[in-house]
Amino acid sequence: MAKVNPDFIKKVTASKQFNASECMNCGVCGAVCPMEIELLPRKLFRYALLGLEDKVLEHTPVIYQCLLCKMCEANCTADVHIAENVRFLRTYISKKVYQL
Amino acid sequence: MSDRRIGVYICYCGGNISDYVDCDRVRDAIEHDEGVVVAKTTMFACSDAAQQEIIDDIKEQKLDAMVVASCSPTLHLFTFRGVAERAKLNPYLYVQVNLREQCSWAHTDVPALATDKAVYMVKAGIAKARLTVPLDKTRIDTVPRSLVIGAGISGLRAALGLSDLGISVFVAEKTEKIGGWVADMGRMYPHDRRGNELIADLVEEVQKRDNIQIYTQAELAEKSGSVGDFNVKLNVKCELIPLNVGSIIVTTGFHSYQPADGEFAYGAEGVLTLPEFKQLLDQCEDELSYQGKAVSKVSYIYCVGSRDASGAEGANAYCSRYCCNAAMHASSVAHDLSPKLHQFHLYRDTRSYGKYELLYQKARRQGALFIKFNADAPPQVEKSNGGFRILVKDVLTYGEELDIDSDLIVLVTAMEPRPNQALNDIIKVPLGLDGFFKEIHPKLRPVETVIDGVFIAGAAQAPRNSAESVASALAATAKSAALLKKGYVELEPLIAEVDPDACSWCDQCVASCPYSAISKKNFGEKEIAEINAAVCKGCGCCVPDCPQGALGVKGYTDGQIKAMIDAMEVANG
Repeated sequence: MAKVNPDFIKKVTASKQFNASECMNCGVCGAVCPMEIELLPRKLFRYALLGLEDKVLEHTPVIYQCLLCKMCEANCTADVHIAENVRFLRTYISKKVYQL
Repeated sequence: MSDRRIGVYICYCGGNISDYVDCDRVRDAIEHDEGVVVAKTTMFACSDAAQQEIIDDIKEQKLDAMVVASCSPTLHLFTFRGVAERAKLNPYLYVQVNLREQCSWAHTDVPALATDKAVYMVKAGIAKARLTVPLDKTRIDTVPRSLVIGAGISGLRAALGLSDLGISVFVAEKTEKIGGWVADMGRMYPHDRRGNELIADLVEEVQKRDNIQIYTQAELAEKSGSVGDFNVKLNVKCELIPLNVGSIIVTTGFHSYQPADGEFAYGAEGVLTLPEFKQLLDQCEDELSYQGKAVSKVSYIYCVGSRDASGAEGANAYCSRYCCNAAMHASSVAHDLSPKLHQFHLYRDTRSYGKYELLYQKARRQGALFIKFNADAPPQVEKSNGGFRILVKDVLTYGEELDIDSDLIVLVTAMEPRPNQALNDIIKVPLGLDGFFKEIHPKLRPVETVIDGVFIAGAAQAPRNSAESVASALAATAKSAALLKKGYVELEPLIAEVDPDACSWCDQCVASCPYSAISKKNFGEKEIAEINAAVCKGCGCCVPDCPQGALGVKGYTDGQIKAMIDAMEVANG
């Protein structure tokens, strides 16, 4: 059971809006990812939006595996700023976990 | 010997028939049949040249009946009736034999037997043609007045449309107020205009018209007569008002699904149906509050009362179609009131069809979260310190069990057919499986019913939003006006007939008639059945029910059917 916390996203969002709500779960991002990360943004970003902080932290290695190549972003049918969103998550984890 | 002069034309259909049926052998087998004067084969009987040849034959050979053995009557019955008419032959002296769909296409593997069957079929057609008699269409003069039942947005718009076309309109509204559901609505999709303003505009316009008369607290009490000329009585505040109208448009609207007590905690304070929530939104001025308390989290549960596959009695198996969009729009209205509001949409599938996708997109961009659940795992709602706790499995995170706090719960409820047995008993428009009024054909005849002259529109026919309701109301207006402006209607003569000598008025046929077309009349010393030619559809249900054998259907008489069977037997040896 995971408690939904819609305020969590505010902690993640630095400057611009964290935008993943337009994601329509088509899966193109996973298909084109050179790192074969199937998680972005369909699942990971939903964890962030729903405020499931534990789930986000659990996937810390994946968040850092991303090359930020933007292959997914260029192919996204819903204009989700995938790479930007990943950077938000990294900033958050850097502060929260690594105390940077 | 028959003294008929029959022309028989056997069509190749460019090979569709002649590749499997030896058409020339068929012609040879029938050309000496009783009454046959002309027997020909033709490449395409429907071609202009072939049609002209038939016309010339009818005139030169003085034919008094014709048979074309070609394709399905659905395709060319009216074509060849037209040929007969152009040759000054009564069109009901024409018989079509369906050699293509019922013979050549069905028996491509056995051409020899297909040819034998074709011979039987054509012989049967000739036997029927020998017994044809000229029939005339029934002509009815129409009255340029309409009755609209229900003064909601559809009924009002239809009344205005008819008025524009110069047709007088009576509008009967069951309740005290006009405007229906929309009159109580605030901001509505897709235009984002206020419902009560829309209705106010319509009512203002209606009041300017001399040829629209609205009766409130009025119900249909009686209906007789037929297409173009109905006599109805309205029960208006216990007074019967007789009206004579040419057409009736039924726009009685819908009933909003009322959840059972305890269904998703319905009945508890803070659990609202979508219409109740829309009223709340309309009442809030600066921020969304419920019973004096500001609301910070709202959850919507979709498909309540819709898409219930349980098969239980009264369960609505259909999708109500309007509700996804209405809930998304309500979500945006709520966001405008309280931009910091957290909104959770718990849906099964979203149907934001067409341009309504933009409503979905807008709601998501405003931060609403959409959580998909499976039908077999609906959300669980529990009360918890002043609010609610919803437990749901989110499909999009592969079954993550979520625990959502909420101040308000909105049940996105279905549109249901309005229970109205008294009206249904009088109007006799059939209901579909879902209980809404049923059209003849959803695509090709979407506002006509099997009762000629009675049209349906709006949410009485199916779940619809206001824009779609008005579109169908205007369609019914157009069909109604097309019927009435011409001044008369012509009806098929292929209807039931009574043999007055055989009939003894036992009234069994009355019960078997689905259209209430049979009544009693005096005939000399006795009483017999009378068929209302404008109401009878020629379905033949009454014929086998008559113990005296006094009923028949014109164009399909017992004598004709027996002759067809006999002809096949003879052909078969």
